[in-house]
Amino acid sequence: MAIIDVEHVTKEFRLGQVTRFGDTLKGFAARLCGRRPPQRAAFKALDDVSFSIEQGEVVGIIGPNGAGKSSLLKLISGVTKPSSGRIRVGGLIAPLIELGAGMHPDLTGRENIYLNGAIYGLSKKEIKKQLDEIIAFSELEEFIDTPLKRYSSGMKIKLAFSLATSLKSEILVIDEVLAVGDLAFQRKCFDRMESLIRREGRTVLLVSHNLRQVERLCSRVLLMDRGRIVLDGDSRSVCNRFYEMSDKKIAKIAGEKTVLNGREVSSGDVELNEVYLLNAFGERTEEIVAEETLRVKLRLTVQRPVPKPIFGLGIHTTDFLYLATNQSVDVLHCPVLNPGVYSLIFTMAGLPLLPGTYLLRFGLALGDTFQPVYYKEAVAGFRIVDSRNRSRATLMAGVDGFLDLQGDWRLVPEEGLTEKQGRDTRVETRVF
Amino acid sequence: MIAVVKELWTYRELVMTLVWKDIITRYKQAYLGVGIAVLKPLVLTVIFTMVRGFVGIDTGKIPYTILTFAALLPWTFFQESCAASVNSVVGNAALIRKIYFPRVIFPLTAVVTKFVETAIYFFLLALFMVWYRMSPSGHAVWVPFILGYTALVSLTLSLAGAALNVYYRDVGQLLPVGINLLMYASPVIYPLSLVQKKLLVERALGDWSAFGYRLYTLNPLAGIIDGFQAVMLRGEPPDWGILLPGCVATLVLLPISYAVFKRAESFFADVI
Repeated sequence: MAIIDVEHVTKEFRLGQVTRFGDTLKGFAARLCGRRPPQRAAFKALDDVSFSIEQGEVVGIIGPNGAGKSSLLKLISGVTKPSSGRIRVGGLIAPLIELGAGMHPDLTGRENIYLNGAIYGLSKKEIKKQLDEIIAFSELEEFIDTPLKRYSSGMKIKLAFSLATSLKSEILVIDEVLAVGDLAFQRKCFDRMESLIRREGRTVLLVSHNLRQVERLCSRVLLMDRGRIVLDGDSRSVCNRFYEMSDKKIAKIAGEKTVLNGREVSSGDVELNEVYLLNAFGERTEEIVAEETLRVKLRLTVQRPVPKPIFGLGIHTTDFLYLATNQSVDVLHCPVLNPGVYSLIFTMAGLPLLPGTYLLRFGLALGDTFQPVYYKEAVAGFRIVDSRNRSRATLMAGVDGFLDLQGDWRLVPEEGLTEKQGRDTRVETRVF
Repeated sequence: MIAVVKELWTYRELVMTLVWKDIITRYKQAYLGVGIAVLKPLVLTVIFTMVRGFVGIDTGKIPYTILTFAALLPWTFFQESCAASVNSVVGNAALIRKIYFPRVIFPLTAVVTKFVETAIYFFLLALFMVWYRMSPSGHAVWVPFILGYTALVSLTLSLAGAALNVYYRDVGQLLPVGINLLMYASPVIYPLSLVQKKLLVERALGDWSAFGYRLYTLNPLAGIIDGFQAVMLRGEPPDWGILLPGCVATLVLLPISYAVFKRAESFFADVI
């Protein structure tokens, strides 16, 4: 039986200010006369959402800002009620919608553990039993009897997280809380979450913008957009779909010539007019089949002479992770770039990228000093799609990395193994 | 009714923890600490005693000062718990937006917190009684019931008040003012015996006197204060005739107030 059942749930909010007392009176008077009270425009935060979650499932909820993810979590954890529809929850919920919601600045760390524990429904006895463990996990032994108001924000979050994950509820509702603390603590949090999910078999609902995390932790993902569930399926395909959605959005923004967040440095001596992408047949395109040739053509207007120019072209992801760069130093010899209009062509054969969306960056520097003359990120974008001779199950960018790693697999049994080890190897062979 | 009590019972530990938090945070950085809590009824007692020097109020055998303090004890509890619980929901907005537990916990916690603070007043009352060489009678066992009843009266006002306060913050400002006025309609400054004398013996309102008296006792505080004075100072059991009209009013209004709160609570998180 489903542990969470959401049936045709709609949540509306009235737009605009809170009702004035006069309006309420008017509405009340209208109701007395049997008329409908005047209504302000409604905004549907959730629009006819239905799904159910089984015991032990780990479900991620992803989607752009304002898609209704947090509203959904609030409804499931009972903080608010739906405007229409029904929600049934068959278990104790620990809502980690915002860490440290019940913390009080004047109380010490230890006192706050008791307070927050009670708010999350733990009894004093249970908290006492786990107190040492909670404090140890939070790494705050020294400060545990200091009032919370003297804590740094990182310390507060550490304390809150340690407490929250020691709750023994059947359902864990988590909203964007893993991005806390310093890197080491984040790692620790992630491991703790993973062990909660995998070893203790809890039902988990996780809202996050960190898709890689969602994909790693969840077995099933709901993709939401504008209050509706757009896609409900296994985490990989839904996440990929969301990548595509955001990639297209980013590409659209880039296409509209609006400045994408990329850096731009220019001395004004050189202008980049246009960037084309051409496929192996010389056709203009933005979609390249994996492992095929991509040719980039840049049209430059040079205003003042640039001595010994070095061109550079690089590929980065939509979240500005630099993947590869090529520079023309020692390859393209040009003593001086005189004023005029030029076409610069860079050809990449057998592009070793996994399917996904990528952006290009372009730079021009002085040959002697390496002083940049022009540099711009996200000058153009392209999508890599799967080549026809590979199955749909091939690797996807962002999930399994970005580069198509070429290599050769071989499995050879070692000589002189003892019999026992030999048996192990056979087992392993079967696994492969 | 039983279901309500049962649900609250499962959350008793949360209520106790929140009460503990309220008390601890209120006095943590205050040097006078809990002492400050007794200041209010004490100062009022002094003022009323001084005023009485001008107007002359007959209190029978019991000295006016201690009689007034014994009236101010349940009164202050009522007034403070009302004011605190009306603002309790709005004051905990951060929690309400994030975590679910029955919202009724907040007004309840506010009342229980004041209940604990009221315990301090009893030390003061004991000092007064020693000073005036009075000793409590066995009827003092009624005290917890009287205070428990006071808490219910306070919740009757503040449950609906707290819910409305979420929508209209004016309620949180106006209700305490209204309660302050109610003090003059309760036997705090003057004893109830004076009211009885005026209305039942002298029939100051003519034919309306009996009705006026009934109306006066409809205010639960009349019965509460007189009952408290009776069991603590006069050594008599509470007068049920005086308590009854207020009791009936509370029993009728409390479920309504609770229903208003319950109806409103689903949308607290959206509005607050």
